[in-house]
Amino acid sequence: MVEAFAVASGKGGTGKTTSTLALGMALAEEHDVTVVDADTGMANLLFHAGLDDAPVTLHDLLIEGAAVAVDDAVYERFGMKVVPCGTELAAFRAADPERLRDVVAELAADTDVLLLDSPAALGSKSAVLPVVLADRTVIVLQPTIPALSDGLKVQEYARSYGTETAGTLFNRVRDESGIERVAEQAERYFGGETLGVIPESDAARAARTAGEPLLAHAPDAPASQAFREVAKRLDVRDGASESGDVADRFRSAVVPEEV
Amino acid sequence: MKIPRGDLVRSRVVDDPGTTLATALDRRLTGYAVFEPQDAVLLGDETRGVLTFEAGIPTLAYCTDTDRGGADALNDLVGPGPYSVDLYQLDDADLAEAHEAEDLRVPPGLPAERLAANRDLVTRTREAAPDERLGDGDDDAVTAFLADEAGIEAIREQAREEARARAEEWGLTDALDD
Repeated sequence: MVEAFAVASGKGGTGKTTSTLALGMALAEEHDVTVVDADTGMANLLFHAGLDDAPVTLHDLLIEGAAVAVDDAVYERFGMKVVPCGTELAAFRAADPERLRDVVAELAADTDVLLLDSPAALGSKSAVLPVVLADRTVIVLQPTIPALSDGLKVQEYARSYGTETAGTLFNRVRDESGIERVAEQAERYFGGETLGVIPESDAARAARTAGEPLLAHAPDAPASQAFREVAKRLDVRDGASESGDVADRFRSAVVPEEV
Repeated sequence: MKIPRGDLVRSRVVDDPGTTLATALDRRLTGYAVFEPQDAVLLGDETRGVLTFEAGIPTLAYCTDTDRGGADALNDLVGPGPYSVDLYQLDDADLAEAHEAEDLRVPPGLPAERLAANRDLVTRTREAAPDERLGDGDDDAVTAFLADEAGIEAIREQAREEARARAEEWGLTDALDD
């Protein structure tokens, strides 16, 4: 059983990586979760997960002919499997984005929930592939016009590839008085439901500095509790029943079978 | 609101106050604009609106006639136009004291939204605004944005077209959902 979610936002600074790891940890209480830093151009999940020194990362898996196995880039951290991505520009340039499909297929065969931390951009193939490959997206919004507008764009890109929106969350909300109305209005345009409203949190910044996911660093912070609620509302669906089928599903997600 | 007199940058009559907001933004002007609705001139009224800028970003709004500030002052100024507008430049230090008046503050994008109904300008202004000015304070602007169904549909339509065009460029056409 697997469902792959792209955690996407379109705009930077919405706290996508914090959200991905928080959802991952919350979902890991019930599911086998794998989190992948699919933001291969501007990776930062490694810093949030204390994996700055990871010897093998997703970049190594995307380079043709590299003698590393997918498992080599998988790290057991905070009750999840974490696949960080490196930050070197040279490695990004050498990486073949198409190979992400095979990596995702292999990871999918061995997990319940796959979370792809997606780039805050739509301008390149590597930026769009996570939403192409995912079953559904979780869109991270802020109650601002640029964030909503970019969130709508990501949703349309994803839908163009048949990837529906599982739900949205409003992150880093400073003033909760007006958010209900904004969320209600936004629901008319976004698929799924508003999964939650996460208050702006100093703890999230401190967690990043400490190299820990928010839920590990400050499990009782209001933001952590709100993320757990979001995870509860996210209904994880059964994917294909057998792992072999799952892998095939992702392999055929981009390139049709050759005749 | 006490503001020292600045150097006059331009003085003209505009149909669209957005013109002045765009000028201030493009010049990253620190200073203020005085808006005087022309119907007020004809009627001999004293309605004047003052809008201050910090590096091109609207900061305070005040209406002399109603003695109201912030979003209320903008509402007092909304009209069919044209407006007689004087735009003045000041040093940062000249505005520091006035800018402490929290009750007169406006969210960066709100003047473009209220006075000009110019969404592009709202976006451009907010993109240029420093992070600390981009709180959730302008729920009104966000609410207005989300209430504009035709505007939202235009964003979505454009994104769909862009997605398809780029899929072709990146060799992802086969993955598109028909």
